[in-house]
Amino acid sequence: MKGMIMPKPILKVRDLYYSYGNGDAALDGVSVDIYAGEKIAVIGSNGSGKSTFFLNANGVLKADHGEISYQDTLINKKNVKELRKNIGIVFQDADNQIIASTVMAEVSFGPMNLKLPKKEVIERVEEALAYMNISDFKNRPPHYLSGGEKKRVTIADIIAMKSDIIIFDEPTAALDPLNAQMLEDVLAKLGSEGKTMLISTHDVDFAYRWAERAIVFAQGKIVADGTPLEIFRNKAILEQANLKRPAMLDVYEMLVEKEVLKDTNDFPTSPQALRELL
Amino acid sequence: MENIWNKWTTIIRPKSKNQTGHSCDKTHRHHRAGHKHGQGSAIDFYAYISNIRHWNPAFKVTFSVTILLLCIILNSPYVSVAVILAMAYLTVVKGGIPLHEYLSILMIPMVFILLSTITIGVDFSNQSLGQYNLYLGFGYLYTSQAKLMAMVFLMLKVFGAISAMEMMTLSTPSTEIISVLRKAHVPKLIIELMNLIYRYIFILLDVYAKMKNSADSRQGYCDFKTSCYTFGSVASNMLVVSLKKANAYYSAMEARCYDGDLLFLEEDKKVSKVQIIFGAAFIVFLILLWIVTI
Repeated sequence: MKGMIMPKPILKVRDLYYSYGNGDAALDGVSVDIYAGEKIAVIGSNGSGKSTFFLNANGVLKADHGEISYQDTLINKKNVKELRKNIGIVFQDADNQIIASTVMAEVSFGPMNLKLPKKEVIERVEEALAYMNISDFKNRPPHYLSGGEKKRVTIADIIAMKSDIIIFDEPTAALDPLNAQMLEDVLAKLGSEGKTMLISTHDVDFAYRWAERAIVFAQGKIVADGTPLEIFRNKAILEQANLKRPAMLDVYEMLVEKEVLKDTNDFPTSPQALRELL
Repeated sequence: MENIWNKWTTIIRPKSKNQTGHSCDKTHRHHRAGHKHGQGSAIDFYAYISNIRHWNPAFKVTFSVTILLLCIILNSPYVSVAVILAMAYLTVVKGGIPLHEYLSILMIPMVFILLSTITIGVDFSNQSLGQYNLYLGFGYLYTSQAKLMAMVFLMLKVFGAISAMEMMTLSTPSTEIISVLRKAHVPKLIIELMNLIYRYIFILLDVYAKMKNSADSRQGYCDFKTSCYTFGSVASNMLVVSLKKANAYYSAMEARCYDGDLLFLEEDKKVSKVQIIFGAAFIVFLILLWIVTI
C-alpha cells in the first residue's frame, strides 16, 4: 500500500496489553506501525480501546506488556518524556484539558514543561494562538469561552508543543457544524504541513473523506487496518466493529447499480466530487 | 480559510453583551457565557474587564495591602474616608466598573459589619445608663454620642480596608494575584493548589448547574423533602465526578510533559514611574493627614 520503498515507521507499537483495575483487558495485543505524514482515522465503538491506546501511545498509561518505539528508540521508563514531547493529544473534553486560568497561560503550559527559554515559549504561544485565530482571547479566562473556542484553545495547546504526531480524541463530538468545519480546515492545514495525525471518530462520513488510512478497534484489538475504502466495503469488518457505512459510499454504489454512473472505481468522498463525476 | 474564521466570529458576536476594556479586544465583545453563578463569578468577571487590569499586578497588590494596613494602623476616620474615596475613584473612574455594581459589591459585607459594630455602639444594662437609653421592660438598651462615634469610625475603618481590597480584586484576575504571591516566595505547593482550585471552582460550578437542571427537569425539587434528598444525591455525585475529573485532568497534564511543577507563562507588565509616584504620594498624604488630625 505504501509503495515499493517502505519508509521507516515513526511510531512502532508491538503487542500492547493494558488492563484497568477491573481486570478486563482494554488493550488486548495491539500492534501497529505509524509512518510520518499519515492521516489516520481510528474507528470503533465506545469502549473498544481507542482512548486507552492513545494514552498508551503517549506514555501516560504504562502498558502491562508490549513495546513502543519512537523513531527507532525503544521507549522505557527513562525516555518516556520523548514520547510525550513528540506525540500530542487533543482530548475529547476541553474542560478536562484546560488547566490554566488564561488562554495564554494555558497554551504556554506544554512549552514551559519542555523547559524552553522564555523567549521561545512566548514565540510559540503567539504562533499557536495566531494559528488557531484566537490571539484576541489571549488574556481571557477559559470559563468565559464557548465550547468551540475552548476546542481551539486545546488544539493551540498541542500546536505550541510542535509535536510530530497529533492525536485528536473524538474532536468532532460536541461541535456545531460551523466549528466542525473550522476543525476540518485546521486539519487540512496541519496535513499540508506534513503532520502525522490520528483521529478517533464515530463520524464514518468524516473518516471516509478525510483519512488515508483507517484502523478499526473492537474489544481491545485492531481488527482491520487499511484504506477507508477497503474497510467500509468489507461487510465482515463493519459487522464485527458495529460500524455504519459512509453515506457517500452507499450513494455511489447505488448510482453504479442503477447504471447512472460507470463503475470506474473512482470513489467520490464528498458531494462536490460526486457532482463532478456526474 | 479566512472566510470561515470571519463567519465564525460573526456568529458568536451576537451572543455577547459586555464590551471589554482591553484595547486589543475593542472589536470583540466579551462573552458572558458561564457568568450565571451569582456574585462570586461576577467579581472575577469585573477583574477581567477592568481598565486598570494592565497595571503591574505586584504594584496593585502591594499598594492595596499597604493602604489596608495604613487604614487599620493609623486608625483615623479622616484617613478612612480618604481611602474610601480614593479607592472608589480608582475602581470606578480609572477601572471603569459601573458605580452601581461597585456599590452593590461593597454592600455584600454590610450585614456583617452592622451586626458586629452595633454591639460596640449599643450596650445592655439593668440600670438606666448613658446619654440615650431605651427601656425594654426587663432592662435598658443604652448608648452615648461617644459610643456612636466610635461605631461609625469603626465602620469607616472597615469600609476603607474593604475598599482597598476590592480595588485589588476588581482589577486583578486571580491568576495574577497568585503569580504575585509566587514572586513573594509563598510555598510552591500552596501556589499550585490555588491555581488548580481556582480553575476547578468553575468546572465544578458548571457540573453542579447541569446536574441541578437535570434533577429539576425530573421534578427533583418539587417539595422540601425531595429537594433535600436531591441535594444529597447531587452532592455525592459531585464527589464522584470530581474524583473522575481529577484523574482525567492528571492524564491531560501528563500528556503535556507535566513532571511535578505547574509552570505557566506570565506576562510581564511594566510598572510605570507615574503610578509609583502617585502611589507613594497617596501614602505620604495619608500619613500627613493622620499627623495633622491626630
